[in-house]
Amino acid sequence: MSLLCLGLEGTAHSFGAGVVSSEGKVLSNIWHMLSPVEGGIHPREASRHHSDVGPGIIKRSLKDAGVSHSDIQLVAFSRGPGLGPCLRTTATMARTLAQKLTVPLVGVNHCVAHIEIGCLESGFEDPVTIYVSGGNTQVIAFAGGRFRTFGETLDMALGNMLDVFGRTIGMSFPAGPSIEHAAADGVEYYQLPYSVKGMDLSYSGMLTAAKKLHLEGVPVADICFSIQETAFGMLAEVAERAVAHTKKNEILLTGGVACNNRLTEILEGVAERHGASFHRVSPPLAGDQGAMIAWTGILQHQAGDELPISDSHVMPKWRTDEQDILWRSRF
Amino acid sequence: MLTLGAESAIYIVEYWGMTLALKWRHSKPYVHNKIDKLLRTSRTSRECKMLTFVRALGVPTPAVHSIDISNHSILMDFIEGQQFKQLVNTSSKKRITTLCHEFGKLLGIMHMSDIVHGDPTTSNAVVDMQSKMWLVDFGLAEKNATIEMKGVDMHLLRRAYETTHWALQEIMLESTMEGYVEISGDDAEAVLSRADEIRERGRYH
Ligand SMILES: Nc1ncnc2c1ncn2[C@@H]1O[C@H](COP(=O)(O)OP(=O)(O)OP(=O)(O)O)[C@@H](O)[C@H]1O
Ligand SMILES: [Mg+2]
Repeated sequence: MSLLCLGLEGTAHSFGAGVVSSEGKVLSNIWHMLSPVEGGIHPREASRHHSDVGPGIIKRSLKDAGVSHSDIQLVAFSRGPGLGPCLRTTATMARTLAQKLTVPLVGVNHCVAHIEIGCLESGFEDPVTIYVSGGNTQVIAFAGGRFRTFGETLDMALGNMLDVFGRTIGMSFPAGPSIEHAAADGVEYYQLPYSVKGMDLSYSGMLTAAKKLHLEGVPVADICFSIQETAFGMLAEVAERAVAHTKKNEILLTGGVACNNRLTEILEGVAERHGASFHRVSPPLAGDQGAMIAWTGILQHQAGDELPISDSHVMPKWRTDEQDILWRSRF
Repeated sequence: MLTLGAESAIYIVEYWGMTLALKWRHSKPYVHNKIDKLLRTSRTSRECKMLTFVRALGVPTPAVHSIDISNHSILMDFIEGQQFKQLVNTSSKKRITTLCHEFGKLLGIMHMSDIVHGDPTTSNAVVDMQSKMWLVDFGLAEKNATIEMKGVDMHLLRRAYETTHWALQEIMLESTMEGYVEISGDDAEAVLSRADEIRERGRYH
């Protein structure tokens, strides 16, 4: 029998609500993002944003799905990892809804949700996932009953590095698309620090060097081009190391930075070299949104998971590998 | 071909009546040409130097027979044995802890000479028929290593255990640390606490 789940996402600067059915049909997916001011996200401001726009987005999401409150049989929310105030605001809305509708509540891991919605869209069963956004740069794969982070950034996230560089040269947020656009006119490659440590990488050194090139008067197009080639080349290497190490044959690219075409092209090359299939998650499902929470909530619920309201505190530091993934077979 | 790694392909070849391993870093068309060339050249020469350098410290590594910088290839001894990673799945706990202890000692020896391996996973240790452990894959190794660099090395090692040997990670880590501390003594503490710090750093917010 079909089950409808309402999923609420609110770990950082976006708030989203989506309705998904247990057949894996995304009926609606609405979100709104708070544009961060100078210096990144302010947790309390973002949480205020969520409580301001939340009720309206939930209403629109139900309307878009063509369902009413009473059709919802499950409420899922992003329980972590993320910013404490944002998580708490989102959790409060989820609890209230679950109680009002007298339906079960499930708490979903944000990173796991990115992977599961990507698998739903691609039909992949067991990919190496490259999750790149403003707050995350991780290479994740399933092993021994859990999603494990094989590699990650040692300092800043890829998206954050692009945004910070963009801001210093006067681009508006998010700067990723503007950098990609500018890079298309780049002709000359300027060497930037290439920092890979096993399956980890570091972007702060190249950010400093890129800023310096800008001060020296190097054309913006060339810097953007060089940043992309270096940053994505590094990511390709760690992805490749993870694929070689895990011997998996699917590569999934997701997160906000997944919309970059050059990054996609490079990872397609990696996949081809290792005889793996490649999928880039489409923009509406790659960013932070509620449908991924709803879908993962369904998987979790069907595996017998349910979160009593009294235990539903948020988990700001919830690591990807701390959750037993009951709905996937162990090996 | 023996394996296709992230950076290279390893071939087993017969030369001068010996069985040797040829590590070839071929070009990757999807990476910018200048980056590709630079990495292939620098890592080939680095690997060659480091394989030889750490062997002089007492870390078993395949002897380098020749290097072709323009072709980005290294010809070295082929170590007949098994990847440590695979052995973990088939060996007794006792054998695994003994090997981990040895792995820790080898890293300790390198760190005491301010060298980091750069990718200290169980894929990059080969155990031969006499149960002797050899380290390979020195393309990311570095000299003049700081506490930070050593901390990264230990962080990578711990994560390799977590992701790949989840069921045995605690005992493996414990015996590796014993071996490591046995060699590096009082210097270990600063490195290991830095490794803990590094582990938290890239995490979400
Ligand atoms: N000299 C050797 N003797 C025996 N086996 C070897 C030798 N060199 C490499 N190998 C095997 O081949 C595998 C790949 O080699 P290596 O790690 O050097 O390549 P790589 O492309 O740098 O790998 P990575 O994917 O870690 O970047 C090793 O894990 C090891 O099992
Ligand atoms: Mg290797």
